[in-house]
Amino acid sequence: MVLLLLIVIPLICAGLIVFNPREQAKYIAAGGSLVSVVFGVVALAAFNWSQGGMDQLTFTTPWVPALGLNFDIGADAVSLLLIALTILLGPICVIGSFTAVVENQKTFYAWLLILQSAMVGVFCARDLVLFYICFEFTLIPMYILIAMFGSSNRRKASTKFFLYTFTGSVIALAGFAYVAWQHSVFTGEWSFNMAALGETARALNASQQAWVLLALMAGFAVKVPLFPVHTWLPLAHTEAPTAGSVILAGVLLKLGTYGVYKFALPFAPAAVLDYAPFMAVLAIIGIVYAGLICWVQTDIKKLVAYSSVSHLGFCMLGLFAVNSVGVTGSVLYMISHGFSTGALFLMIGMMYERYHTRSMKEVSGLGSKMPVWSTFMVFFVMASVGLPGLNGFVSEIMCLFGTFQSGPWTGQAGVTPGATFGMLGPVFAAFAGTGMIVAAIYLLYMTGKIVWGPTREPDDHHAHEVLPTDLSAREIGVLLPLAAGCLVFGLYPAPLMKAVEAPVNDTVAYVQSLNTGDTGRVMVWTAAHEDDHGSDHNADHGDTHTDEHAQDEHSEDHSGEGH
Amino acid sequence: MTSISPTLASMADTALHVGSAPAWVLAIPLLPMLAVVLNTFSAIFRVKTKLPAWITIACLAGSFLATAFAFMTLSGQTNVATGWKWFDLSWGAGQGQQFIADFGFYIDNLTLLWMLFVTGLATLIAVYASEYMEHDVGKGYTRFFVAFGLFVFSMTCLVMGDNMLMLYLGWEGVGLCSYLLIGYFYKKPAAVAAAKKAFIVNRIGDLGLAIGVMLTFVHFGTLEYAQLFQSEQLAGYIAAVLEGRAGDVPLMAQLIAVFLMIGAFGKSAQFPLYVWLPDAMEGPTPVSALIHAATMVTAGVYLIARMLPVFLLSEWALPVVAWVGTFTALLAATIGMAQFDIKRIMAYSTVSQLGYMFAGIAMLSSVGGVYHVVTHAFFKALLFLCCGAVMHGFAGQLDLRKLSGLWHMKGWRVVSVGMLVGCLNLAGVPFTAGFFSKDMIIAEAFVTPGYGYSLLGWTLLFTAGLTAYYTFRVFFRVFTGPVQYEPGDEHHGEDDHSHDHAQDDAHGHDGHSHEDHAHGHDHFHPHPPRFAINFVLATLSVLAVLAAGLYFVSPEKHGWVGDMLEESTAHNLYTADHSAAAMFLIDGDAHAAHDTHADAAHGEHAAHGSILGFNPHEVMYYISAIFGLTGIGLAAYLHGPRGMVSGFLGNRVEAGKCRMDAVAKAFDPIPRWAENKWYVDEFYHFLFVRPLWVVSYIFQTIDKLLVDGLVNLFGYLPRLLGRGAQPGQSGVLHGYALSMAGGVGVILFIVVLVTL
Repeated sequence: MVLLLLIVIPLICAGLIVFNPREQAKYIAAGGSLVSVVFGVVALAAFNWSQGGMDQLTFTTPWVPALGLNFDIGADAVSLLLIALTILLGPICVIGSFTAVVENQKTFYAWLLILQSAMVGVFCARDLVLFYICFEFTLIPMYILIAMFGSSNRRKASTKFFLYTFTGSVIALAGFAYVAWQHSVFTGEWSFNMAALGETARALNASQQAWVLLALMAGFAVKVPLFPVHTWLPLAHTEAPTAGSVILAGVLLKLGTYGVYKFALPFAPAAVLDYAPFMAVLAIIGIVYAGLICWVQTDIKKLVAYSSVSHLGFCMLGLFAVNSVGVTGSVLYMISHGFSTGALFLMIGMMYERYHTRSMKEVSGLGSKMPVWSTFMVFFVMASVGLPGLNGFVSEIMCLFGTFQSGPWTGQAGVTPGATFGMLGPVFAAFAGTGMIVAAIYLLYMTGKIVWGPTREPDDHHAHEVLPTDLSAREIGVLLPLAAGCLVFGLYPAPLMKAVEAPVNDTVAYVQSLNTGDTGRVMVWTAAHEDDHGSDHNADHGDTHTDEHAQDEHSEDHSGEGH
Repeated sequence: MTSISPTLASMADTALHVGSAPAWVLAIPLLPMLAVVLNTFSAIFRVKTKLPAWITIACLAGSFLATAFAFMTLSGQTNVATGWKWFDLSWGAGQGQQFIADFGFYIDNLTLLWMLFVTGLATLIAVYASEYMEHDVGKGYTRFFVAFGLFVFSMTCLVMGDNMLMLYLGWEGVGLCSYLLIGYFYKKPAAVAAAKKAFIVNRIGDLGLAIGVMLTFVHFGTLEYAQLFQSEQLAGYIAAVLEGRAGDVPLMAQLIAVFLMIGAFGKSAQFPLYVWLPDAMEGPTPVSALIHAATMVTAGVYLIARMLPVFLLSEWALPVVAWVGTFTALLAATIGMAQFDIKRIMAYSTVSQLGYMFAGIAMLSSVGGVYHVVTHAFFKALLFLCCGAVMHGFAGQLDLRKLSGLWHMKGWRVVSVGMLVGCLNLAGVPFTAGFFSKDMIIAEAFVTPGYGYSLLGWTLLFTAGLTAYYTFRVFFRVFTGPVQYEPGDEHHGEDDHSHDHAQDDAHGHDGHSHEDHAHGHDHFHPHPPRFAINFVLATLSVLAVLAAGLYFVSPEKHGWVGDMLEESTAHNLYTADHSAAAMFLIDGDAHAAHDTHADAAHGEHAAHGSILGFNPHEVMYYISAIFGLTGIGLAAYLHGPRGMVSGFLGNRVEAGKCRMDAVAKAFDPIPRWAENKWYVDEFYHFLFVRPLWVVSYIFQTIDKLLVDGLVNLFGYLPRLLGRGAQPGQSGVLHGYALSMAGGVGVILFIVVLVTL
């Protein structure tokens, strides 16, 4: 029920904004998002953290019974944490925009709140259609925020953002539809319950799973974004208003990784295992390639935008390590990245409001001019660099550990107690690890330009009418929760790890149970099965059933051997 | 699993017993943290007094007292004190596999030894800094002490952490503080560049460390020292090595040491990752003394000492460390000889001395290596602080050609004596602490069998001569001779004081600006240090002298340090006889192994090596004394003032001219190349930085033209195809929303149609 409130409250407030005078819009939005935070805390308190499974705080009501559609929401620890991140960023975005947005305030705040509802909807959906509708619906508010409130090149950015991610999602929809269809074939009735569809999907043979994975990845990889489908992101980020960038980096990108976590891993575990090296290579290319591109940017917003591509490479890598440490690291990365990169976008927004430029050629050496701003900037840069003791490190090092463990060690499982089953390994981790160096290079390059060094301000710089030279109390208030979050997350992440342990281990188990116990080359196994059933994914009814049985037999055979 | 051998069985009774430490030891790391928190509040309330310094001094002194108390009550034991859970994850059948790293502290003798000098020196240097930084009260003063406290906290995590992730936390934490403090004068581009360079070069090493940590975890299933050093698996590997079956140790386990070594090279400024340390001298001098001389840069030595059992698994990790350490010692000494900036000379000398420590520990003289860490911490901190006092008093002047005769100036006697004590130690003059610790290392080079170790021994001896030369070059130039000085260009107390630096790099080493700076400072009066600085210098001088006494405490164990290390991983059962262990490592001769190991139990060194037919341990005192004194004599001849030693050694009558000028001219390009650091920085820039920059630009172009271009092409195709559907591209939102809803509907419709 509380989850329903979290969806509804912002919607109600959006309605209130529409029917109230313009001056009150921002206060209504702030109030509404703060009320959401209160209910978010209630949700966190009411939650049983030791339990896996997406069956807490549920709310179900029939929607289109004929098609088996339900309005069905609920949460497990992972989704609840992402919901918590979403609603925490809500007031930060709203209050952070008080002075930045002066025109069309009603439109701005209303759509911001609607966006929040949609994002919460994505994370708590238990019904596939509901998930997809919310997933796609997030595009519309975001599109408007960029197109109406962005900077000079906003039309192109918003259109590209919309069409690019939309195209990907439609392919993902095809994948979902295929699974749903298979489900109706198996069971004789339609259902869009995610758990039920997951079971069906896992029963598909390896080549069918591969197609499902391909379709899902087409949607989610664009959203993440994974190299090479990332080019919409720097543009959208650069042009979006500050609040839009914060939401985009903080939450919208996580819809992609959440999708991979929630659908790709449980729906197509065999295919994930087969294609993990391929995906990992893309992730690593993204890490290094985007990181190096950051280094040659002069627009700091674009720099931070590209850094998101680089950072989320770690996140994807952790997911495709398909072991507990990697996936936990990845889940923590989703949250941690929202804090540090979201904060960096806020910082840049605050600077932009004062100097009306984001170019490091025009503004530099703000250390003496804006000491408070600079302190926060260095802090969040360090969080982003992955300095131990702050949030970035915890998730990044876990993704790397997971990658490292996952792989060729399996053959000697008795010898190396820290190893797990998987398809990556030390070489992947070492290459990804160079991303740590690259991150230091570009982020310190940025800090060296913008914070340190001799002060330079644009020639036509006029003091802001409302804002002081350094940060105002409101701005500090917006940044403090994020800074505190970074610090607590970095020093005491153990509760978070314990919280996501149950659901992550459940998800990981789908893949780990494929461990045949031999050399760990699951490819051998899948190849054999492909021979049995061919790669024809348009298999008819009976044939698919055979598949299912074969799969069942297989998992029975080896259930004792997994770890 | 390797079978448990007899050797291993005999180790069982000396196995590690880990107890739990009393809670008060947490005060050691938490007090510096308290200083950081309180100073953060000072910053928030814009305190414009010296309060931040007093807070820091009080907290650090408390931390030191706690350490001293821990030393008195806990030494000889191994204890763990857990603060809270940091990483905590389990999985697998019955949650059998775990990924655990507590925010906890591991206290054994190695830890205590390190913490004693870290907290002690930090306290003293904080006192020094309270006066040294006083020009910045109300400006950067608080910032300085926040970073200072944070550094000590990070250092405690590094040294005391009870698992490798805590080590990593401290490792990067000290890197951050180093970054913040090198860049303290943040308006000065050189300082910003140096800070950035330090962080990035360290990050390269950190990646090595991270990989080493991950390998350790994958191999041993734990990150905690207590479990690691008790693990049967490690014991099995060690046994295999001791029995000459080094091949039984998996390659991946051997690689752990190699990657940890890379990390150590980064933090401890060894070749090829040493280039950041000399530049780090852009930071305030107390920082150079504490971080870049005494404590942080010895972290690499600590890492090897801590992980020595793991290092023994690899046949080549330690020899590589020995070679790299020796090479670094020589390389840095040659550069140090040609520098004119006294702080930079000290910086290169630090790099060089760190090379000695690495060579020592790698030649399995962990006692020698660690003893040198301790003695070096005192005398190098002292030397830096003396240089700092000079710099402070002469408005930033560091060029030894522009300073002369400080010994004879009023108010500079404490600095001069401190400098002399430090120089005697660094030069390895007989009966100083530096003499004993350096000898232990060099002697070991002739004792320990290894790939060309006696060559390394001679190189280290030669380097000791060079060290004595460049050390006393500074002393004779700056402190003796006629009283002459030229102020630097620092205008403390003026708002734009660091702005000036930005323009002309007066800390540079070209020295051609002799005349340029002469005017404009007509009324300059050097201000000698006051009580705080003098007090710290005097205390450190005494400590640096007393450190020699440690050599004579429990001589049967090679001094106090040997006594301490005996109860730690740096000198535990595996290395009870280090030379013997090395024999096994290198020869892999099982028979010899058993025999000599038995001998070794009695602490006897079989005649493994010799120097010119003598027992190295006995004659090393004389040989190294000869090298050291020759170096000093050379310095006296080339740089000494006229009148010194009955007027026949030196002939220098003014600050800028001496016999060396002619010598330098005779060897022309070589001193100039050495002064330019053998162009290593330029080489790196040309080889790594430039290409990476170019690649980045290429990537950016590819991203724009190819990756995004393809996307745009795809986006353009439908537009070409559907000129007729122009209204669809209206850009109006509800148009998109409508078409999206329509699209979803159509797809659903098709799906339903197909299935029914």
